[in-house]
Amino acid sequence: MHLKELQLNNYRNYKSEEVSFQDQVNVFIGENAQGKTNIMEAIYVLGFAKSHRTPRDKELIRWDCEYGKIEGRIQKRNGPLSLQIVISQKGKKAKYNHIEQRRLTDYIGALNIVMFAPEDLNLVKGSPQVRRRFIDMEIGQISPVYLHHLSQYQKILQQRNHLLRDLGRRRKSEQEMMLDILTEQLVEYAVKIVSKRHQFLKMLQEWASPIHSGITKGKESLEIQYKSSVQVSDSADMTKMIEEYNDKFTKIKEKEMERGTTMAGPHRDDLMLYVNEKDVQIYGSQGQQRTTALSLKLAEIDLIKSEVGEYPLLLLDDVLSELDDSRQSHLLNTIQGKVQTFVTTTSVDGIEHETLKSASLFNVEHGTATLIK
Amino acid sequence: MHYPEPISKLIDSFMKLPGIGPKTAVRLAFFVLEMKEDDVFEFGKALVNAKRDLTYCSNCHHITDRDPCMICEDTSRDQTTICVVHDSKDVIAMEKMREYRGLYHVLHGAISPVEGIGPEDIKVAELIKRLQDDTVQELIMATDPNIEGEATAMYISRLVKPTGIKITRIAHGLPVGGDLEYADEVTLSRALEGRREI
Ligand SMILES: Nc1ncnc2c1ncn2[C@@H]1O[C@H](COP(=O)(O)OP(=O)(O)O)[C@@H](O)[C@H]1O
Ligand SMILES: [Mg+2]
Ligand SMILES: [Zn+2]
Repeated sequence: MHLKELQLNNYRNYKSEEVSFQDQVNVFIGENAQGKTNIMEAIYVLGFAKSHRTPRDKELIRWDCEYGKIEGRIQKRNGPLSLQIVISQKGKKAKYNHIEQRRLTDYIGALNIVMFAPEDLNLVKGSPQVRRRFIDMEIGQISPVYLHHLSQYQKILQQRNHLLRDLGRRRKSEQEMMLDILTEQLVEYAVKIVSKRHQFLKMLQEWASPIHSGITKGKESLEIQYKSSVQVSDSADMTKMIEEYNDKFTKIKEKEMERGTTMAGPHRDDLMLYVNEKDVQIYGSQGQQRTTALSLKLAEIDLIKSEVGEYPLLLLDDVLSELDDSRQSHLLNTIQGKVQTFVTTTSVDGIEHETLKSASLFNVEHGTATLIK
Repeated sequence: MHYPEPISKLIDSFMKLPGIGPKTAVRLAFFVLEMKEDDVFEFGKALVNAKRDLTYCSNCHHITDRDPCMICEDTSRDQTTICVVHDSKDVIAMEKMREYRGLYHVLHGAISPVEGIGPEDIKVAELIKRLQDDTVQELIMATDPNIEGEATAMYISRLVKPTGIKITRIAHGLPVGGDLEYADEVTLSRALEGRREI
């Protein structure tokens, strides 16, 4: 899929801007704080109806304005597509081919995006939360109903934690029954989430491991594992999983009541990454950690292609200059001619690769983006 | 902005209504000033009377101007089935459909630990009492199709299960208006599924 045109109105520091893109590589060049990341973010929002930088939609509205608008014209294999996000003080609206979608699950997934920003280099050594977010967003764009399951899970979790925190305020029999019910509800969604995560990571592993050994010229192997707070014997057998989760919650019930919080479930799980059979989070060098993050991101490109039948857009915000020559060229070789890519950088000096020679260059300055080549 | 006290009081009153913000409240208040005195008087009387003359049915807890309510009094209705709902608005919506001929039970809320609402804060015990004699044979759980509504339905069904009374679950349509959020294919399919035994 290709983003042909992007139109911004009262979005971040853009008052009114319309940009056309080519199908290969588009580079935004500019000093700091001019609006490069803002453009990347706009494209991301078009795909996910949500920023990668902030949970507060209103921040995207240009200061002192009533509303902000992002509009994109996309070319997909089976025809053109128009997407629009309008954010006002009251909330946001998402339009798919000019028709407002009441549920975001009907909107998300039409425009697939893989983003790679400096903070993604933290994917490996950052907190488990960073890795959970990574898994969740990536699964979400190929399976939007997963996002629904996640949000239901979050709501139940909140209810359950409140109940555990306020124990002793009600009759014991009532409390026990409420806890039982909330556990049943929690488990229903927990197994859906965990099973999907297992399935996704298995696919990711299949794509990532050849890429990783490619980047390292066969010197390193990468293995991905899901670290679950509940031992799961078969992630495809839902009935069995439900049993295993129920057993776990029975076992930790006393402890949960004592601590006043939910102590198992997908909100506590993590993603384990092994390079040459060693936990790269603990034992990996910074270089190995970066390569691992890059392998995961590149694997996603292929994974999305195999799952949805088309390549996603690739957004590279400030990372190209962060990578050494061999990683840089591996990245650019992978995308060459296949993946529409958006790159930001303060300068193109020193990036010699073939792929960039035919790229469109835009000068970004003070909330404007002008085609210069 | 400074208004004479009678107007600012009126504005404050309008703002207590759901969905009415300051701007609308001001518009409504000034509209009232333009109305004929008789109409204003009728309006005020209607407000007071609605509050004074309406109570809750001591049997089903639906809002009513006489106790028991018209639905509970109507002997032509099917006395063996009770439809359990969150609030009186649900009863009115169901009655509009004219499909259902049984009785109701209004819970006045849903179980939600986050809001500090447990089973004893809603009319669960009152429902169980209605099942004491053998008249009722089926409970239709029509609580909202969200987490809290589901939890409430599950709670009641666990309490009732030992009596052998049949319990079914119905989701009456989709939540309306709601914010744009990561929701909900499941709700839709449930609404279409209709009643299922739980
Ligand atoms: N809501 C907003 N309205 C107006 N300007 C904004 C808004 N949010 C951020 N900005 C401005 O955008 C600029 C940052 O843009 P950004 O794309 O992050 O920079 P960079 O080019 O370094 O990637 C800053 O000058 C900031 O003041
Ligand atoms: Mg930036
Ligand atoms: Zn009644």
